[in-house]
Amino acid sequence: MKPRSTRARITFVVFTIVALTAVFMVRLIDLQVVQAEALSAEADTKRTLTRVTYGTRGDIVDTRGAVLADSVERFDIVISPRVTLLRENASVVVLEDLTKITNVIGGDPTALLTTILESPESDFEYLAKGITLEQYQTVVELDIAWLYYELRPERSYPNGEVAGNLVGFIGTDGPQAGLELTKDECLASQDGEASYARGEDGVALPGSSVDILEQKDGGTLKLTIDRDLQFYVQQRMAQTAEALGATWATGVVMRVSDGHLLAVSDWPTVDPNNVNLSDVGDLGSRAFSTPYEPGSTIKALTAASLIDSGSANQRTQVVSPYALELANGGGVISDSFYHADQRLTLAGALVESSNTAIAQYTDLLKASARHDYLQAFGLGEKTGVGFNGESSGTLHDASQWDARTNYAVQFGQGLSATSIQMASAYQTLGNDGVRLPPTLVEGCYWPDGSVTDTPSTDGTRVISKEASEQTLQMMEMVYSSSGSAPNLQIPGYRVAVKSGTAQVAESGGYGDKVVISYAGIAPVDDPEYVVIATAGIPDTIYSGVIASTFRDIMAQTLTTYRVTPSGSSGPDLPLRW
Amino acid sequence: MSTNLAYAQPQPLQTPGQRPSHIEIVTTRAQRKARPRALYAVVTVASMFVILAAQLLLSIVVTQGAYQIDSLQDQQKLLNRTEQNLLESLALQSSSQNLAAQAAGFGMIPNAAPYSLNVANGSVFRLPGSADPTGCGGKCGLVGNTLLTGMPLVSTEVAAAAKAAKATAAAAAATTVASSSTSSGTAASSAAPEAANNAIPAPVTR
Repeated sequence: MKPRSTRARITFVVFTIVALTAVFMVRLIDLQVVQAEALSAEADTKRTLTRVTYGTRGDIVDTRGAVLADSVERFDIVISPRVTLLRENASVVVLEDLTKITNVIGGDPTALLTTILESPESDFEYLAKGITLEQYQTVVELDIAWLYYELRPERSYPNGEVAGNLVGFIGTDGPQAGLELTKDECLASQDGEASYARGEDGVALPGSSVDILEQKDGGTLKLTIDRDLQFYVQQRMAQTAEALGATWATGVVMRVSDGHLLAVSDWPTVDPNNVNLSDVGDLGSRAFSTPYEPGSTIKALTAASLIDSGSANQRTQVVSPYALELANGGGVISDSFYHADQRLTLAGALVESSNTAIAQYTDLLKASARHDYLQAFGLGEKTGVGFNGESSGTLHDASQWDARTNYAVQFGQGLSATSIQMASAYQTLGNDGVRLPPTLVEGCYWPDGSVTDTPSTDGTRVISKEASEQTLQMMEMVYSSSGSAPNLQIPGYRVAVKSGTAQVAESGGYGDKVVISYAGIAPVDDPEYVVIATAGIPDTIYSGVIASTFRDIMAQTLTTYRVTPSGSSGPDLPLRW
Repeated sequence: MSTNLAYAQPQPLQTPGQRPSHIEIVTTRAQRKARPRALYAVVTVASMFVILAAQLLLSIVVTQGAYQIDSLQDQQKLLNRTEQNLLESLALQSSSQNLAAQAAGFGMIPNAAPYSLNVANGSVFRLPGSADPTGCGGKCGLVGNTLLTGMPLVSTEVAAAAKAAKATAAAAAATTVASSSTSSGTAASSAAPEAANNAIPAPVTR
């Protein structure tokens, strides 16, 4: 038997070991199990850094891929005045460095020093905003320790005012107008977040980089607009507006076969790079947002409705006086210039643009049917382009037409339409009577290769093929026989055209103000393009100017797209009897 | 099947209190053979060291890779930025307004009477073109672009370069006269065509 003391010692040692082990076990479990999550999270925050990974906002390009809007990288220089001023003899040293910086980025070094000295306790001040890559690289090479840099993604519009009213722009609070705003879903990028652990020397530890949120680039928005044609149309419309002293002007070129808008010009324009140069009212697109009473360009649609319904044909005869007393107390209407009674055919009524003649044809078709035709041509309804601030124009129900409006709508007063709506109605005439939805966006092309926002190609038949062909023939007589014909000629091509001079309603009546326009389709033997040139509130009502503008834009379009010249000669319809 | 493992043979329990016997049980040859040999221990320890060394080397290589990746990523970022920058500059250079201004700077005007040739029947056809010889109604530049402020005209740069080249050629010619050696005579004559190549001939038709 061992002595008692020995046994007590052994017991003591064993007990101590067990007790210590138990303590360590408890601590171990506490660290490894109970607090494990919190501790490793704390460790991660000490070791890992999170940084924002920037997605790139998508470009807006024209139908041939020319960039209308793109994202560019600019840099901000950020400082902490508190830290900057910690060094010895700070203001002298800092001024030296500032001089080096301003040699690169421009500006006054002493003014910058003053701003730094004004807020000595601040930890965050901008020294410079939006410097270019070259400037950034040069400043980085100066190796000034107290500078920090931040990436600043910006938007650039390399073509300036070309399609500026369509593209829109981005303000400090994001997209403000145009397609930048309405197609933001396509263009917008999403910034991501990535975390990584870094070693003592700042290098990311291998395999430690984790994307918390992957950044997403925006899609490329492809328009139907042709930049070069757009440039020409804008230039030509600007000249026209200045020559006429107009308040506004729009020019639209639409392809007949698919309703694609190849050029939509607005004057006055906006340069999205510097919207402050423009009036607030000029930031959108008038072609979409400003309806006007179209006037005589509607007569082509009236003639098409009459022929399609079988109420009249190209040779239906009326006697057109200078002034006509309307039925049911509608008052007196007159033509734009004095003439003796004319014996006109329907074709002749279009060539002479006689209101009194059209009013008489109007009685051949009942009001509701005429309303339905105008509606089917797209008037009174939004085009479906969904442009920011787009207007539907006004087309009242036939039951609301008073005795005068009943006639007036058929020569384009008492209803209003936008330039795009008028282009769409003329597209119907050129496309064998089938109206296609006007299209401004070809699609949104995503980085993964998928394409969304593709336009609808569902057409609706408005009038028969025969009716559309006969209408174009009558409009071709305007091209060959009207008073403006000399200003309209495009050698080698058959063109269908109609002029419009509409009075502008103001304070309950019609005054001196007018909107003048020319709308037409070419070539007539195989219609391909619609052109509409419109000038609002000109000082001089000389339609010869706008006629030659129409001709130049149509000629430029036909040349740009190398349209085969017409192989046949135009019709020779009787205008009088 | 053989095994490398050494098996401990069961030993009878010695009851405590029993006096140790003088007789010892001698292990058999088979039992002695079954015991672990030193070689195995050496191999095990050595391979442990090899594994540790390999792990260390691997870790060094991976770390080195991390630095390389880091520097390449930096390089990629820089190259991406440079590409973006160049694309931005290209888009601006190719903008409608710049092209129009540069072309006008060289004295180019739109063709007022373009013709096209129909290859099917050989007929020549006059395209509509613009009735206006300046191509923009006599008043160009109505479609602005604020980004183009300060964009130099290539035509003036070319003219300046041509002038400089001419001056160089004149200087070279002067040297030729001074040295009156035959070899520098060829140098002067080779400088002249170079200057001619650089210079865009001034437009004489208007």
